Amino acid sequence: MKACLGVDVGSVTTKLALLDESDELVSHVYLLTQGRPIDAVQQGLRDIRKQLPQDVDINGVATTGSARYLAGVIVGADLVKNEITTHAVAALHYYPDVQTIIEIGGQDSKLTVVRDGIVIDFAMNTVCAAGTGSFLDHQALRLDMSIQELSQRALTSQTPVRIAGRCTVFAESDMVHKQQMGYRVEDILYGLCQALVRNYLGNVGLGKELEPPIIFQGGVAFNQAIVRAFREELDTEVIVPIHHEVMGAIGAALMAHEEMATNNGISQFKGFEQSEVKYHASSFECKACPNRCEVAEISQDGQTLARWGGRCDMWERVSSTQLYSSEEIK
Amino acid sequence: MTTVGIPRALLYYQYYPMWKTFFEHLGAEVVVSPPTTRKTLTEGASRVVADTCLPAKVFVGHTVSLVGKCDCIFIPVIRSLKSKTYNCSKFLGLPDMTRAVVPEAPPILEIEIDINRGKRRLYQDIYKLGRHFTWNPLKVKEAATAAWQSLLDYRELMYRRELILPQAMEEITGESQTGLNMILKSQTVPPTTIGLIGHAYLLYDEHINYQLIRRLQQYDATVVTPEMLPGNIIEASVNKLAGKAYWTYEEEVVGAGGHFLESGVDGIIGIMAFGCGPDSLMMDMVHRHATRQKTTPFMCLTLEEHTSETGVITRLEAFMDMIHRRKQKGEAVCV
Ligand code: SF4
Ligand code: SF4
Repeated sequence: MKACLGVDVGSVTTKLALLDESDELVSHVYLLTQGRPIDAVQQGLRDIRKQLPQDVDINGVATTGSARYLAGVIVGADLVKNEITTHAVAALHYYPDVQTIIEIGGQDSKLTVVRDGIVIDFAMNTVCAAGTGSFLDHQALRLDMSIQELSQRALTSQTPVRIAGRCTVFAESDMVHKQQMGYRVEDILYGLCQALVRNYLGNVGLGKELEPPIIFQGGVAFNQAIVRAFREELDTEVIVPIHHEVMGAIGAALMAHEEMATNNGISQFKGFEQSEVKYHASSFECKACPNRCEVAEISQDGQTLARWGGRCDMWERVSSTQLYSSEEIK
Repeated sequence: MTTVGIPRALLYYQYYPMWKTFFEHLGAEVVVSPPTTRKTLTEGASRVVADTCLPAKVFVGHTVSLVGKCDCIFIPVIRSLKSKTYNCSKFLGLPDMTRAVVPEAPPILEIEIDINRGKRRLYQDIYKLGRHFTWNPLKVKEAATAAWQSLLDYRELMYRRELILPQAMEEITGESQTGLNMILKSQTVPPTTIGLIGHAYLLYDEHINYQLIRRLQQYDATVVTPEMLPGNIIEASVNKLAGKAYWTYEEEVVGAGGHFLESGVDGIIGIMAFGCGPDSLMMDMVHRHATRQKTTPFMCLTLEEHTSETGVITRLEAFMDMIHRRKQKGEAVCV
């Protein structure tokens, strides 16, 4: 079986998706990154391998997400794409007439505006986390409940409490205040979900026209209470794709397929055996100029595979053989 | 011989050739601080209150790096260049702010340019500045005339020969403008034209904008900047979009933005500093027009010290993808 692989390494979760030649989803995995993207990618490769037939032949592989360059080195990516584009490509694949794509992940959130099958505008949260998954995770932690429980209980709310949720700190103090005033927990929880949605629409969605059909994807779309809050706030249907949490990886796989088809290339994929290789990731401060860049490097058996993070390309050019002579500026 | 230090920040980008000519004609030597690095920025940021805008922090960092390398530092204040337009208040207090936060700095040479006070006053002020170097008014006059001419030449290089500001600066001053060497792999994508809007000190400081222009060129984009547009054209589009200009450097944002929207570039990228009052108003105006017009993609990047490089690059990549896919699709329809 010929197939294309998409790998999406985000700050909170890592997703892999495998599509066959007709772009049907064959299998996918979803696991936590836990601050160790290399391990997560290797574990993901192992997990997905188990689900696949023996004869699978990887024809193309693309990486996406915030650790896309690192992941690209490990798997041998044919294409490295930003997550805004891959999410849009996946959404358009399943819903060709989509006009708005809401995507909320653990640490970031995005909004993509599509008209006539073309992305015409997008926005991404900058520094504020109040419109992302971590906002709810944080509150769930405080209330000592799982995010699933939070979502279930919030769904039963009849008369939500308005939580001032402009930022995580304010939301927290306001929530404590509302608890003390004796409001029902369900109503407070749903109030939090509404606060997240308002934050999202007020930050990322500011000045954008959110026309239906609206697709809601990313890990936070698991949370039915948030879906409900979006529906109520936007007063329209909000579609959650079945594989909403792996859409980035699916988009990457689709683009890998497209890329390989147009260029007729041979995949750089390093094989599933890569999951057993020991990689070593480290970083150092370059002292060659006052920029003092934090340069990251990844090596295998003492061989440097790649370096990045410098403001200039000096480290990308230094090959591993030259390493010793450059030791003094490290 | 007196050495005049010039911080490579804020107004440097637009006026350096003029200043250099002026001081050199008066027999002074000119030194410019080296390109911005992380050190410049942390040094500057550590000396001013936290909510100072990024370009002003960079400016302070550059003045610090000039200490010990010159006999005086030149900090002009541009109040107004046209009747009833005003400059951002950050510019007006630069000399005083510098004295306060960089006490070890050598004496500061100032000149205040305010066209509202009349030409006579301007000439007097130029003479006063020149008197630090010579008592001969004719020499000052000659230096000022030569300086003005080099500014005109510099501008002409940009809008007639379409050189990007650093290239024009290199050509006219013979001084290399690049701090970093970055050989970028070019990508196989359809060529595009991207209009940039924003102040020169944001567009051309490669450290604070993450080498924006080079990254765009790597995508085979032809970059058009506000300085490449003739003055009368952008002035006209300011009037069209905003009525009458209020800010001194409104042309760089609203004027250029309005012109790009009309002339049909493939995309417009606006660069502004976080917490900048004038820019947030002006960018918003361009954004609203772009939204209404619906044909030209617009993206505004906000820079501050804590902006993550990945975030900026992701946005830039997505923006270019958007334009490329749009083009491909458009061509597919035409065929
Ligand atoms: S990587 Fe390049 S820019 Fe960064 S400190 Fe080293 S020499 Fe300077
Ligand atoms: S216009 Fe904005 S960026 Fe420029 S100095 Fe003023 S506040 Fe700073």
